[in-house]
Amino acid sequence: MRLLQKTLTLLLLAALLHCAAAQNRDRAQSIAAALNAGDYAEALELLRPALQASPGDARLWAMQGAAQAALGEKSQALASYRSALKIAPDNLPALQGAAQIEFDAANPDAIPLLERLLKLRPQDEIGQGMLAVLEYQQGNCPAAVDHFEKTGSLFDSKPDALHAIATCFVRLHRPDQAVPLLERVLGQSPGDEHERRLLASLQLMAHQPQDALATLAPLLSTGQSPGALELASAAYEDAHQTEKAVDALRQAIVLDPDQVQLYVDFAALASAHQSFEVGMNVVDDGIELHPNAAPLYFARGVLHVQLAQYDSAQSDFETAYRLDPNQSLSTAALGLADVQQNHLDRALATVEERLARKPNDPILLYLQADILLRQGAEPGTPDFEKAMHSAQRAVSLGPGLGPAHAVLAKLYLQAGSYPRAVAESKRALEIDPTDQSSVYHLIQALKKSGETSQIPELLQRLAQLRQAADVKEREQYRFRLVDGSNSAP
Amino acid sequence: MKITRRSFVSSAAGALLLPSEWLAAAQQQGVASRGVAPQARPPASGRPFNAHFANVAQQAGLRIPTIYGGIDAKKYILEANGCGCAFIDYDNDGWIDIFLLCGTRLDSAPPEATNRLYRNNRDGTFTDVTDKAGLHAVGWANGVCVGDYNNDGFEDIFCTYYGENRLYRNNGNGTFTDVTREAGLLRGETRWGAGCSFVDYNRDGHLDLFVSNYIRFDLARAPVPGQASTCNWKGIPVNCGPRGLPPGRHLLYRNNGDGTFTDVTKESGIAAATESYGMTVVAADFDEDGWTDIFVACDSTPSLLFMNNHDGTFREEGVLRGVALSEDGMEQAGMGVGIGDYQPVGHLDLFKTHFMGDTDGLYRNDGTGSFDDRTRAAKIGVETRYVSWGTGFADFDNDGLADILIVTGNVYPEVERVLPDSPYKSPCILFRNLGNGTFEELGAEAGPGIAEPHPGRGCAFGDFDNDGDVDVLIVNMNEPPTLLRNDLSGRQNWIKIFLEGVKSNRSAIGARVLVHYGGKVQAQARVSQSSYYSSCDPRLHFGLGEAKTVDVEIFWPSGLRETIRGVPANQLVTVREGAGIVKNRGWSRS
Repeated sequence: MRLLQKTLTLLLLAALLHCAAAQNRDRAQSIAAALNAGDYAEALELLRPALQASPGDARLWAMQGAAQAALGEKSQALASYRSALKIAPDNLPALQGAAQIEFDAANPDAIPLLERLLKLRPQDEIGQGMLAVLEYQQGNCPAAVDHFEKTGSLFDSKPDALHAIATCFVRLHRPDQAVPLLERVLGQSPGDEHERRLLASLQLMAHQPQDALATLAPLLSTGQSPGALELASAAYEDAHQTEKAVDALRQAIVLDPDQVQLYVDFAALASAHQSFEVGMNVVDDGIELHPNAAPLYFARGVLHVQLAQYDSAQSDFETAYRLDPNQSLSTAALGLADVQQNHLDRALATVEERLARKPNDPILLYLQADILLRQGAEPGTPDFEKAMHSAQRAVSLGPGLGPAHAVLAKLYLQAGSYPRAVAESKRALEIDPTDQSSVYHLIQALKKSGETSQIPELLQRLAQLRQAADVKEREQYRFRLVDGSNSAP
Repeated sequence: MKITRRSFVSSAAGALLLPSEWLAAAQQQGVASRGVAPQARPPASGRPFNAHFANVAQQAGLRIPTIYGGIDAKKYILEANGCGCAFIDYDNDGWIDIFLLCGTRLDSAPPEATNRLYRNNRDGTFTDVTDKAGLHAVGWANGVCVGDYNNDGFEDIFCTYYGENRLYRNNGNGTFTDVTREAGLLRGETRWGAGCSFVDYNRDGHLDLFVSNYIRFDLARAPVPGQASTCNWKGIPVNCGPRGLPPGRHLLYRNNGDGTFTDVTKESGIAAATESYGMTVVAADFDEDGWTDIFVACDSTPSLLFMNNHDGTFREEGVLRGVALSEDGMEQAGMGVGIGDYQPVGHLDLFKTHFMGDTDGLYRNDGTGSFDDRTRAAKIGVETRYVSWGTGFADFDNDGLADILIVTGNVYPEVERVLPDSPYKSPCILFRNLGNGTFEELGAEAGPGIAEPHPGRGCAFGDFDNDGDVDVLIVNMNEPPTLLRNDLSGRQNWIKIFLEGVKSNRSAIGARVLVHYGGKVQAQARVSQSSYYSSCDPRLHFGLGEAKTVDVEIFWPSGLRETIRGVPANQLVTVREGAGIVKNRGWSRS
């Protein structure tokens, strides 16, 4: 943001000079001349008696702030600007100066200053840009992208800012709008492999597999980038070219047999096509090379579950947990494997035992609530209360954990707290707009609340989601992977 | 930093990948099953259950197996779903007879492969009168619905088939005539007819006909076990579908009043509904507006509830009214349907059977045709082990509370050789109503007939021996049927009500009956099909507990509301529309 800062300082000086002239030409002219000449100490000397004589003159305070800021006296400058703003809240130079100092310190106090500034000058692209960055820093993506969209080409040459806004678009489930931002970044440094893969990742998220493959083409042509091959595999799969997806992943593994994630990806691909044995063989190879890699045991455990080999699955999940006790997924998988075997008590015991060690783990809390619900906890019972408490904590500790919001919505629905069920269902849908259960719970909660106006649209949405899921399912069924070859119809 | 799609998503977007998503994605197969665990079983109530079931099929003369596809393996889903049966008093002697559907084999039909009609000998035995009645028929029969479509006083039979459906007119002399062609019901194409129901949807006094279709299935091109991912069960190659196969479209035929029917599927709005794997059809007035609605249980697709618009059209509102999907909005393998009033509060609730690894579904009607899923609250969720088919609400112990019976049987004979916990033959499930909104699962304590394992499918409820309780007829795949005789002990009271329409259709199908007894009010509906592809005793049976008299309210399909007060218990009463109680045909009390 260095350029921004300079631009802003110049604008500020210009504004100050103009204002001073209007207020007290002689005195202001001297001060302005000093400021203009870069003689900030002299300017401060002149300002002292002027302010004693006219302490209610906001413009003088703003000029003092500008001189102090130029001398690096940020806190004094900020105090001067604040004094100016107390007298004249719409004093533009003071607003700009104070906002700049607060912005430099990444202080959210800059936000109200910039908002006031933008009320006065809505077309101020720099102000919009500063607000976009600040809102991003505060995690307020909707506001960040809103301001970003008003910045014109301000960020075109600023990869960090473009990355930040792209991240916001992803968080808002609008990856297609993030793609052009990273295209700009890549355009400035086309040889940057990192940026190229980042863009391809975004294109994949935006379901633009052919674009992703085009982006990756220079990397794929070398045949030496396992990361690019991994992404290409995902792109081929998204484009329903399963044979090529398998090929790419196999190549990636050959190139980089030490990258554990590649085996896990292969397991996921095999699993999606119900080719569990093939996936198992590849993961076994990975385990042979990396006997201490927890994710591989986790992946193999999941494949065992598909084949109803629950004992083996349990053993793998336990191994994954032993190798990496800090991750919750193997515990979650252990619990889910138990759920599949209808061992709900065992699932609950496993989760609660791990929760005793990690009481603030949102995944474990969610899982506890989910299992209690599956056990048939009824409103008014201690188990139901426990499930409710755990789900509430899960969403509080992991606000991005969609399934936890969905479970909480279901609990509220059962408890008859329909407005809360509506709110939680909506939150779950913000996180995962394709969650059919949450759409259904939302319909039921709205119906019970007597709020029927949104229901027709939701019914239509549910039908569309079902249809999309059917299509996806059919595509997944098109191929089964065959060991030793690529794939077969 | 290694960048992968996953790492970008997790780091940049804060998303979390849960194993459940992966597990769920990979757990798909040919049939929808949520893979839910059973609820914890509450402690046994310790209350005695006075009904006691014994399988008396052999001694009753029901010894011929119901042929249906392969015995040890099923190549196609066509061989797997089986068929229904009917309790029908075809000769109007006051004793219900038995009609059993039958399938065939892929290679060639064995001699015993035919639908069968058994006349009730009034002594606990039956005589096979199939040939004499003109009902010998070979093919892949699925569903049966019964109703007097020509209002001549004799119940007619409609059978659905993979192929051409068949309408049999009862000639009133112990014989039937296949009138499919002359009635205008011959399609000239192969369809997989599934559920069916006679229904007077336009209240003109003539029974119309709704037919659900399961799959658009071409035997010559159908995939075989293991060929696709929908042809596996837990890694074992099995018959494919229904997922992956094109769903059927359902049909509504209007009765022209002259023995013929007209296809009104499109103009009635039925065609506008989502395509689905339709199975059992139950037609009743769910929203109590005097017009019959239609519920279709659907396999692995949302079930359908067609609400009657009173103008010859329907609107489909299954999802909105809470009976299309699971409590989490997921598709279930809807097979059979029970209709009754389990609380009892005077409204028609629904019960729907599903696949193994899933609970069956209990849906409580609030009286407006809006349903709440009460499966878990009612403790029905304690059982998820078996594939469930035929079902119904019936008060087996006459305590005044409707119990639930479920017939089970697997569709994959091949699986139990690898997975012994998925047996091909399985017992019946009996949920006795505890009267507090919950049920208790009973096994052998309800009699050996309940615990006997069979590959069961459709079942019909009725009192074949006229002893004042409810017995059960069950179709078993490639086995003789089961006839569960209820040997009820205790001194609880009951009443049976037989309706005879005048302005309404003669069978009074679509009527809703409220019986007031002992401070309770229980609703039942006169339906043409329920359970799984089956048709039950047309006499509505109400257990009454200690009550010795009842008040009866009848909501006739014509719109007439009739009330009869102070009717003594322990008898059959026949009510003629507008005329009150009239003399029974044949038998009247045990």
